[in-house]
Amino acid sequence: MDSFEPKIVAFCCNWCSYAGADLAGTSRMQYPPNIRIIRVMCSGRVNPSFVLKALSVGADGVLVLGCHPGDCHYLTGNYRARRRMAIAKKFLEYMGVEPERIQVGWCSASEGSRFAELVGEVTDNLRQLSPNRMFND
Amino acid sequence: MTKELENKLREEVRNLLEKGKVDRVIGYGAGSLRFAATPLIISDKADVDRLIINPFIHNNLSVFLPDVSGKVAIVAKECDARSIISLVQNKQIPRENVYIIGVPCSGIIDLGKVEKLTGLDRDEIDDISWQGDKVTIASAGGAKEFTAQEVLADSCLGCDAGGFREFDLVIGEMKPVAADKELIRKRIKDMEAMSPAERWEFWKNEFSRCIRCYACRQICPVCFCDRCFVEETEPQWISPLPRWQDNLIFQAVRMMHVAGRCTDCGECERACPVNIPLGILTGKMEDIVEELFEYRAGMDKDAPPLMAAYQPEEAEDLIR
Repeated sequence: MDSFEPKIVAFCCNWCSYAGADLAGTSRMQYPPNIRIIRVMCSGRVNPSFVLKALSVGADGVLVLGCHPGDCHYLTGNYRARRRMAIAKKFLEYMGVEPERIQVGWCSASEGSRFAELVGEVTDNLRQLSPNRMFND
Repeated sequence: MTKELENKLREEVRNLLEKGKVDRVIGYGAGSLRFAATPLIISDKADVDRLIINPFIHNNLSVFLPDVSGKVAIVAKECDARSIISLVQNKQIPRENVYIIGVPCSGIIDLGKVEKLTGLDRDEIDDISWQGDKVTIASAGGAKEFTAQEVLADSCLGCDAGGFREFDLVIGEMKPVAADKELIRKRIKDMEAMSPAERWEFWKNEFSRCIRCYACRQICPVCFCDRCFVEETEPQWISPLPRWQDNLIFQAVRMMHVAGRCTDCGECERACPVNIPLGILTGKMEDIVEELFEYRAGMDKDAPPLMAAYQPEEAEDLIR
């Protein structure tokens, strides 16, 4: 199958990963333009319904980014996100969503290059899959 | 045997009401159909004799607890009792307001299975009773014996009761259910053996039958949100129309929301009017929670809710 350009919805936390994305941008780092960033105040804000909503309206993958464990601006938000997203990932895999479509990662405000790398890796991963037609009739 | 238990229960409940230890009692009463049991909430001791215990008391009564005020005694099988503790853990009810009356349970008999096996309508059956590990079904055509595995409800086949210590009172003696865990695990194992695309196709097929009656949500003791995400309109997460896509999202999100509270009691599957095998999902969810976080809902009233706690190091293999 020809590779395609996946659309990725990324939920980035305001304090670390969104700032990391900002740094990647202001440092003129190259990363795939497949990503659409939605800023959330904390990765702990991300409800599993966000993930399914994104997939159901046509995103090929969802990336949830938060601060590294221990670095959360709200102290424990990313730990809660980790529990929630680990369950979401495992459970949706069991229902038939390919695990690559739901990605969770940590990226700090000073890791512009890591942000670019992460986006690159996730995009490459998703290029291996077929476009998301799960919710088509 | 069940008559004895019934009398003992009535005696205890009368006692509790007379002494003013509880204001209300949630138990089972006789249903309008033959053999059926229905939830019964009483506050007057004149009603005590309406309480019953039989092998058909399937409802998980803990769903009523947050709505019943005052001190409440509740008749509970071990599986239901875990839901009660799950509610306590999630601060939906104070533990001291609940008086848990444990009843021994040999598993709930699925009347649908009995009707299918005997070819009789429930009205044609005279009596269904336990004889040790066997179930005897008496009718005008004579008595027939079946093994527990043949007639038990699916959720009881997967019964993993045992080790629950929160009962305030136990009527009679607790004993294990003649369950066949392998039989019920097989549903999950078969699902795991499929490819993601096959699994998605399976659920697409199942959820295309869903009529979005929300019986699964209403009957679920741990689905206690005042406002459910499906009814939110700004933003609207899913359409209220019963399209399979929205049905599937509804159920998937519901399952993820009750993760760590769900005790796999099997009520959602039983309540489903179109027989969607939701137990395959709840069973797997319980497994995931246990595997990732070594957590079992409703076992320890002092343990924090799953989503309100964390360990510094866990599940990192799922994170980039």
